Parts: sequence; C-alpha cells; structure tokens
Amino acid sequence: MYGELGNKLVQHGKRTQNLPNLPPYQTELVRSVVREVRELNREVNTILEPFSGSFNPSQEPATACQLLVNHLSMRRNKRCLLAYHRVRTDKLEEMCWNGVDVLGTEPGPEGAERDPAVGEGSISNLSPEEEEYVRLYGDLLAAYKGQWTDIDLTGSLEPPKDLFIDVRVLKDAGEIQTEYGAITLTKNSQFYVRQGDVERLIQQGYLQKLG
Amino acid sequence: MDIDDILASVSGPRIPQRTLDLQALTRAWVAERTAPELLPYPAELVDRVMDRVRKQIETVEEMTGNMDPKSNFSLIVIQTELERFKFLVRSFLRARIAKIDKYPHHYTNLSKSSDPDSAQTLLSPTESQYLTHHIALLSHHYNTSFLASFPAQLQRLDDTAGGISMVDTPDSESAVFCRVLRDCGEVDIWGEDGRAKVDLRRGDVWVLRWSAVKERVVGGDVELI
Repeated sequence: MYGELGNKLVQHGKRTQNLPNLPPYQTELVRSVVREVRELNREVNTILEPFSGSFNPSQEPATACQLLVNHLSMRRNKRCLLAYHRVRTDKLEEMCWNGVDVLGTEPGPEGAERDPAVGEGSISNLSPEEEEYVRLYGDLLAAYKGQWTDIDLTGSLEPPKDLFIDVRVLKDAGEIQTEYGAITLTKNSQFYVRQGDVERLIQQGYLQKLG
Repeated sequence: MDIDDILASVSGPRIPQRTLDLQALTRAWVAERTAPELLPYPAELVDRVMDRVRKQIETVEEMTGNMDPKSNFSLIVIQTELERFKFLVRSFLRARIAKIDKYPHHYTNLSKSSDPDSAQTLLSPTESQYLTHHIALLSHHYNTSFLASFPAQLQRLDDTAGGISMVDTPDSESAVFCRVLRDCGEVDIWGEDGRAKVDLRRGDVWVLRWSAVKERVVGGDVELI
C-alpha cells in the first residue's frame, strides 16, 4: 500500500536501463499498482462522501492529512507506471532504430537461418500492448526514414574513416550484390568491401568489422 | 555589421557556396549535438545539401557505368566525400530526433503555442509529423497498458496539479562551450557569488549557460564547440 509496489516497479525499470535485452513485462506488478490506485481513489471517495462537497481541511486536519497521503500515493504510482513504461518503450525504440528484429516477424536475408531462440525469447518478454506499439512505431520510423532515402537514417553513427573495410562473416548470409560484382558470404570467410554495402549486415550480426 | 565585415565581404576571396554549406552544416551539427534544446531547423541548408548529395550519387553511378580505370581513383574520392556528407546529415537528423523523443510534450506545446511561422522553423514538416504521430502512439500505449483503468481525474498526461508539471522540459541552464565569432556585446551571468557581465569578443571561448547565449547562437554570432 501507499507506493510500495510502485517502488518495485521503478527498481525493475532502473534495472532494465542497464540490460542488453528487455526483461519480461511485469504484468502482475503493473496490475496490482493499478488496483492500488483504484482502491486509494475509492477510499478518498468514501471519506469525502459524508461531507457532500463542503469539506473544510482546516476543521478536519486528520482527514485532510489522510486525503493528502492518498492523493500523493496515487500520483506517485502514476509516475512510477509512466516511468516504467517509458523506459521500456525507449528501449524498444532503440531496438527499432538499430534494426533489431524485436517481434521476430521479418524474414532474414535470403539463405540465412534465423536463430529461433532469440526471436521467441524477446517476443514473450513483451506485453501485447508493447508488441502493438513496436509494430506501429516501426511503421512510423519507416515513414520518417522514407523521406531520407539517400541518407539511410538508421546507418552507422560512427564517422566513416574509410570507404572500404575488412569484414569477417559470422553467419552465412547468402549472396550480396555490390558494384564490383556479387560476393557470396560464407561463414568464416573474410572480405574487403565497401562499408555502405554491408552496413545492414553488420548491424544484424552477420558480419563483424575488423580492425 | 561593422566596417570589418563590409571590407571582408568586398575584398575577401569568394568562397564557393558549397564550401560555405559544408561549414554551415558542420556548425549546425556540432551545435545540435551540444545544445540542450532543439535548434531551428535549417530547411534551406538541408535542401541544398541533399540536392548536392543526389547529384553526386548520380555522378557516381555514371562513373561506375563507364568502368574507366582512370576515373577509379576520383570515384573513390567522391564516394568517400559522399559517405562523409551522408554521415553528417544522418547524425544531425538523429540528434534532432533524439531530442524530440526525449521531450515530446514540451515540443508539441511549443509548436502549438507559438505562431505558425516560428513553429515551422523549429521543426521540419516531417519532424512535426513524426512528433504528433509518436505522441499519439505513446499515449495510446499508456492508455491501453494502464491509464484507462485509472480514475478519470488522473488520466491526463500533461497535469500540472500539485506544483509539479508532468511535462518534462530541457534544462536551459546547463552549461555549453562556445566560441564567439563576432563581437556581440555583453551577457549576464550568475552564480553563487551573484551576478556579473561577460563581454563577448571575437575569438573568445567561454563556458556559459545555454540560456545566456541561446539567442546569439541562433543568430550566428556565437558557435558551440
């Protein structure tokens, strides 16, 4: 009661900030915090009922204090809930920007095998609402990106030093087309390629940049 | 504008527009990354740069088509330059989006409250589209997750009751490093020991509060570093 659960939620959120992936959504905890808010609100209403709108705080300091504590707890719980959800959505947005396949729906590049453990692991960690959010945010991002096709907004934020880089292939990624012809990316081979051609594959973890 | 500026504009060597644009873009990029607040969107500059990027991409495509061994070297130079330009614009836009995402309600209020002219210069049309859409998504998400089952008086996202505004705003009192490009008078500064004035002279480097130099940065008299 009185914000104890909200505190737990915030601790979860705090922990989430430093984790590489998203921990499971605390459905139970969120539900109990919401329940607490509703109980507090009901209590406030029952306290105020006998006064029928003519409540004077200076005459009833004890009741006023109780009301204040209830109000503050409700507000605090709301903030905790908002903070918890915001941390998670921020995390999800970051994943969207980094091209991480959060929902596990997009098929990978041709000829590549998907890692089923990763996809299923992340999908069960989201609440249904969050899945919906990711889908819609993905659309929004795609729409915004579509205005800047020449730039590739989700590209690397490291300043480019060289046009060409050495990469090692970590997972089979099939054949890619470059302006110097097609390259077949087979596992454990090494190539000297144009950075712009393989940016996506590096982000998706098929290739590793060397040096 | 003083006599030095006039002399410089008459006698100085003509700098081509694209060099100036590169300089302006780099400056805008650095400023956007260091300023705590969103800066006005340089629509014309970005348009010009994007035009040039598009032209260069075409040039590159043509030159690759030729497969002339002699042009290979210049091709690499052009492509490298192109990648760098792309990086600048990308990083610039991403820095802006990051700020918009951080304080979405603050910027919606700003673009709503101010007159249409200034709202347009703060955000590009696509950015304000993104902002509105993003806010709608966020509030929908909060609503379906928990807010809908809250008592009605607690459902708002921009409450100011209890003396605390729910709308988070950027901290305009945070310090920024800046270099003075043109003499531009004095600014007020204040600290624990009271107030003082700082005379901004060309070439000086200062650490000042953002609120003190904001207007001068927007006006181009001071650059952030």
